[in-house]
This record gives sequence, C-alpha cells and structure tokens, in this order.
Amino acid sequence: MTLVLRRNDYTLTDEQDQLVDMLRSLFSEQSAIEVVRAAEPLGFDQNLWATVQNNGLLTISVPESAGGDGGGLVELALAGIEVGRTAAPVPLIDHVVTMRLLAALKGAGVALDALDWDAALSGDLIVSMAPISTWELGAQLVPSGAVAKAVVAFKDGSIILMTRETNAPQAQNEGCAPVAWWSPSDADVRTATLLDGDLAAGIWELAHREWRIATAASIVGLMAISSEIARSYALDRKAFGVTIAKFQAISHQLADIHMDVVTARNMTIKAAWLTENEPAFRPELAAMSMAHATRAALRSTAKAVHIHGGMGITNEADISLFYRKVSSWALVGGGIRRDLDDIGNAIDRRAQELAASALISSNR
Amino acid sequence: MDFSQVELTSDQLVFEKEIRELISENWTPNLSHIAVDHDRMPKPVRMEMAKRGWIHPDLAPDAGGAGLGEIELEVITNLFDEYYIPANVSSSLLIPTLEKFGSQWLKENVLPGIRTGELTTCLGYSEPDNGSDMAAATTRAVQDGDTWVINGQKMWTTWGNESDYVFLLTRTGAVEEKHRTLTMFLVPMNTPGVDATPVWILGGGRTNVTFYSDVTISDNYRIGPVNDGWSVMSEPLATEHGAGVVTEGVAPVNGSMGAGFSRVLQKLVDGAIQWAASRTMADGRSRLEDPLVRAALAEAMLDLEMCWNAEGELGKPMSAEALAKQADKLADMAAPEGLLDFGVDGSIAAGIIASERQHAPGTAVYGGTTEIYRNNLARRLGLPRPY
Ligand SMILES: Cc1cc2nc3c(=O)[nH]c(=O)nc-3n(C[C@H](O)[C@H](O)[C@H](O)COP(=O)(O)OP(=O)(O)OC[C@H]3O[C@@H](n4cnc5c(N)ncnc54)[C@H](O)[C@@H]3O)c2cc1C
Repeated sequence: MTLVLRRNDYTLTDEQDQLVDMLRSLFSEQSAIEVVRAAEPLGFDQNLWATVQNNGLLTISVPESAGGDGGGLVELALAGIEVGRTAAPVPLIDHVVTMRLLAALKGAGVALDALDWDAALSGDLIVSMAPISTWELGAQLVPSGAVAKAVVAFKDGSIILMTRETNAPQAQNEGCAPVAWWSPSDADVRTATLLDGDLAAGIWELAHREWRIATAASIVGLMAISSEIARSYALDRKAFGVTIAKFQAISHQLADIHMDVVTARNMTIKAAWLTENEPAFRPELAAMSMAHATRAALRSTAKAVHIHGGMGITNEADISLFYRKVSSWALVGGGIRRDLDDIGNAIDRRAQELAASALISSNR
Repeated sequence: MDFSQVELTSDQLVFEKEIRELISENWTPNLSHIAVDHDRMPKPVRMEMAKRGWIHPDLAPDAGGAGLGEIELEVITNLFDEYYIPANVSSSLLIPTLEKFGSQWLKENVLPGIRTGELTTCLGYSEPDNGSDMAAATTRAVQDGDTWVINGQKMWTTWGNESDYVFLLTRTGAVEEKHRTLTMFLVPMNTPGVDATPVWILGGGRTNVTFYSDVTISDNYRIGPVNDGWSVMSEPLATEHGAGVVTEGVAPVNGSMGAGFSRVLQKLVDGAIQWAASRTMADGRSRLEDPLVRAALAEAMLDLEMCWNAEGELGKPMSAEALAKQADKLADMAAPEGLLDFGVDGSIAAGIIASERQHAPGTAVYGGTTEIYRNNLARRLGLPRPY
C-alpha cells in the first residue's frame, strides 16, 4: 500500500493576478450598481456586453483551436468571481461555458451548421446551455435563456442545439436574471441533434461540471461583495452610542460570512483546476463547489441583509440587490439537492475503496 | 496553483515503508479509538519514534529531529492517521519559544530531550476561574533569592499526568495588571507539591486539574523576562492556532488542529459508509442506495471538502463545528445502532460515531473556543474589539 499525496497550492500565477486586476477595474468602472439596477428587470445591459466583447473577455477561456485565447477553467472561474462582485448584467459565464462545450463538440468532429460560429465567438450571437436537461426532458428554465438565441441541451442521450430567431420571453424572477423557458417542441425553436452515444454523454457531463464551477464562482463574487458591504455598514452604523461592529452578535456573523466566502472561493478554484487538469479525479468536486457556494451564499447574504437592520430589506439598499441576485443565479441550475445527488457518486467510489482496505472496518 | 499528485521519490517510498514497518512492529490500531487528535501515543512507541527523530521530524538531525521536508512530514502525519496513532505528543509549539527565551540552563539540560521527544510537555494556561481570559491567571509565583515558589491551581492540564514538564503561566504582580504581570516557567512535573488529578470528559478521554502547593524551583526554569510572560506565551499560541510547515504546497491549508479534526471527520464518513454498505432495505437493496442515506452522506462529504478548503485559522472553528454537526447527523442517520458503544452487540463502525458525538463538542473548546477564534478573525477583518 502506498500513500497518495496531493499538492494544495492555491496561489495564482502573475498572469492570473493581472487578469483579476483587469477584470476588477473593468467591472467596477463599467458595471456600477446604477448600471445593474437600470438593466433590470431583464438583467442584461447591451452596452456592458459590448464592452465585454470589445475587451476580448469572451475568448479568454475558449481553446485556441476554436479561435479563442486558450485560457482555461481556472481563468473562467476567476472571471466568474469578478462578474459576481458587481452582479454584472451580462451572460459572460453561460456564454463562455457554452462556447467551451461547442468547441469540444467541434473538436470531436461535429459540424455546427445551425450556428454562426464567428458571431457566437464574438458574442454578437449569445449562446447558453440548459443545466437542468441533465435530468429532465422537455420544457425547462434556461439560464441566460432570455438573451440567448442558441441553447445547447442534453436530451435522450444526445446533445442537441436549439435555436430561435427572436428571444424567448424572460420568466420573471426575484434576481431579475434573464431566465427563460425553452423547449425543443416549442414552435419557435429549431432543434438539431449534434452528437449522441457515450461521447456525447461524456462531453455533456464535463460541460455541466464546468457550468457548475463557473456559476459557483460568480456566486462567490456575489458573496464576497456582500461581505464587504455588510462589513462597511457595521463599521459605520451606530447604536447605543457605538458602532454595531463592536457587538459580537454582529462581528461574529461577519466572521461567519468571511469563512463562507473563503471556503467557497477555495473550493471553486480547486475544482476548476482539477476538472481542467485531471477530469477523471473526484468528478464530484464540481457539484461540491456549486452546493457549498449556493448554501453559503444563501445564508451569508441573508446575514448581510440582517446586519443592515430594517434598511437591509429596502429595495434601495445595495445589499438587498445582491440578496436577490444570489437566489436567481444560484438556483437556476436546479438547487442543492441535485448537487448532493451527484456528490453521491463519490459514496460508491469510497465504498469500494473501503471494501479493499484492511484497516478501517466496523465490528459488525 | 497546483493540486496534482506528488510523485514520491524512491527515497520517500523507502521512508514510507520504514515507517509502516516501525508502526506494525510497535502498534496495533484500535479502531474504536477516535479521539486521536486529542490523545497521546504510549511511551514505548514514542521512544521508538524519538530514536529516529520522528517526533519533531522537521528539526535538523543534530537538533533532535530528522531533517525531513514537508512531504516526509505529510507521510508521517498521514500514516499516523491511517493507523489510528494518537499524535498529540509534539512540543513543536514550545521549541522555538525555549530557543528564544529559555535560560541557558534550560537550553542545555532540557531542550535537547524535548527536541527528540524523549521528554514531553503539557500546557498550564487555563485555571478554574479563567480559560478564555488567560490574562486573568492567578497562579502565583513569588521570587525568593534564586528560587521561585509557586502556588495555585490549573484546570484542563491535558497530559499533566504523564508529562515531564508543564509550560506554566503564572502571576508575578498585581492581578489587575492582567497581561503585564505574567511570567512563564517550565516546571518539572515531578517537583514536590505538583499534583495532577483526573477529570474525565465526554467520550472517555482524560484531562487533569493540577495543583501547585509551595512548588519550589530554581530561577533556571523561568522562560523569558519576569512579567513578560504574555509575549513569551503568544508565540506558541499563534502556532497552535495557525498552519504548520508549508514549503512545497503539500500540507493542507487548514491549520494544524483543524486538519486533525478533518481527518476524524473522514473516519466518521468512512464508518458510516461501511455501515450503510452492510445493511439491506426491505426490498433487498443495500442501504447505500437509500436516497435518504445518500443525502446525509453527501452532505457530510461536502462538509469535509469544505474543511479542507478552510485556510489557516479558519480551519479550527469550521472543522470543529462541522465535526460536531456531522457526528450528530451521522448518528441520526444510522439510528438507532449509531448510538451504541463499541463492543455492544449491534454497534457500528467500531462505535466511533457514538464516541465522537461525545468528544466533538470539546474540539470547539480546547485550544481556544470557536468564539475566541471568531473574535480574532473579526479583529483581522478590522472590526473593533467588543470590550
Ligand atoms: C478536553 C480539553 C482539554 C484542554 N486542554 C488544555 C490544556 O492542555 N491546557 C490548558 O491550559 N487548557 C486546556 N483546555 C482549556 C481550554 O483552553 C479552555 O477550556 C478554553 O480556553 C475555554 O475556557 P473555559 O473553559 O474557562 O471557558 P470560558 O472562558 O469560561 O468560556 C465559557 C463560554 O464563554 C465564551 N466566552 C468566553 N470569553 C468570550 C469572549 N471574549 N467572547 C465571546 N465568548 C466568550 C466561551 O466561548 C465559552 O462558550 C482544555 C479544555 C478541554 C475541554
């Protein structure tokens, strides 16, 4: 028997640091909270999207073979965090994850006739994918589905491409995310089967993992900024003659929020690195990063709202906006129970490992 | 960023084999003994380890260690864990303090044995009337020429019954002056007047009340300047709270205590999986296929992964709380057998879920309570002190 040790190195490269700096200043300049509010209820800002397009952000994590810049899932996760920090009203994550999926299909020799590839690569044509189709057939809510004209889904063991001429109407939701119903049997939808068989299942499964990780990253961004907003408020607001941050009932909640942010961030970038470099190793990490980011963001933003007292639940408070965004961004993929269900695959693997191990055993 | 597998060199593989052999010759794993993060290995095993410099393996060989790097340290940690060896034996917290503040006499006569691990230490901070508020210590040390006379009582002196020395926090001035009148000593536990009586804790472990009655020791046993005990003590405390040796990015980011708790959580998850695999439902399928069982196990595994991603000082409170929560939940999942003691007919997973449910609340207390950790974290976040 030999031990297996792994590295636990979370440090970013200089290039990754620069990417984060660039994205942070771009979004803080171009995606101020007024912009985010003005983009509601649709949750999409055409000008910001144009900025994203013009700054080459849509090709960062698309393989070079498919016309992109060859960055990876870690870069996409880092971008996701920055998108989340301003709740930027652009479908950057959904679009790029879907482009990576389409690039994988291209690489597998699939002809993408139904799609104007150059328009998709530039972002003039927005594409998205249907995470729920992993489990369910038929009509379903699709993230960024109200701004995308092409949606990739999984159906009866095949990867399909759905396209429409006009945008699907948004399904109103509290976070004003551009979510819409899509169905292959919708009269406005044209459907093409792209690939079937084991290869299709494998490509879809990996793409779904990538979607979870990149989406988890964007939720981490929402949490991180909520944590900073709540901290500033607690340092500013006075009650009983002192800043409320002096009360442990407040400061300990801020500490809890911080712990959630740090663990969710670390889990997400670790999942991104491993999914990219060793996709066969612990595939459950994607579902784990999504499940933890979701539960952590739901509870952390609720605490952040509460730290604001009555002000927290007003529509005009910045924190209430992030509270709303979290639910729509985090739950559109199907919720924590589905993530847990996929984490369950790790149970069977561990059960086999244990059956082969002499040391760990029960007395019955 | 790098999470790849470490390719062990042939030397490292030989090293692993050697340790496995040493353990097999000296140790029979007790699968029901789950409080391995808290307990201490028996003396014969420790002496074998000490001979090889494996108690403080990162120290240079001529300083009592084995000059091992981060990867070898991880090999040792993981093998101790695999074989259920209680690992709480190291004085690594104290060694830098003794090097920096110890008297010449201590450095020459005691430090070498502490470095090898042939001599052991325990921590005498907490008292019956103050634990979190350590600067309120009242155990008094009074100077009398070249000697000191110590009187008082310490609480929770874990391993005080079988350690050679206690790292003792004493009061050498007015109590009101709090951290400005504290002085540290390294007191031999066999000095007349030192007495340890057991305190039994949930889960079956032992700690002690220690009494100090006219304990007279030479000034040689003083560590650091008189009334400067707070700075002397702060250093090992910070190490206890933080992460260990990290040079190659292999050690977990979770600090040393939290990593220990996380390893225990892994054992609970494993025990629970084995229980589920051994049970069948009414329809003949394994309980591993029961969606309720899967949901509970998945959540425990999720918490475990979260713990491994909790950096430095965050690791302790997060891992302690996750461990306590999951011990509870897994006992419930495997109810009613989950609550049976080891050896009882029908008990599961060597009783570790039941015993850890009792032990885990302590992990949120010893080494500093989760509230104290949150206070520290709040300070690091730039929030004002609460009082
Ligand atoms: C099994 C075990 C082994 C131990 N081993 C050792 C040892 O070897 N050596 C040693 O010196 N000590 C040891 N301890 C003592 C341990 O460090 C203390 O129990 C701990 O620091 C808490 O102190 P206390 O028990 O006096 O609780 P208190 O300090 O009285 O605290 C009681 C409660 O009040 C809370 N509280 C206290 N102060 C604050 C604050 N400022 N803000 C918010 N909440 C607060 C605490 O979190 C706790 O919930 C051990 C304890 C246990 C249980």
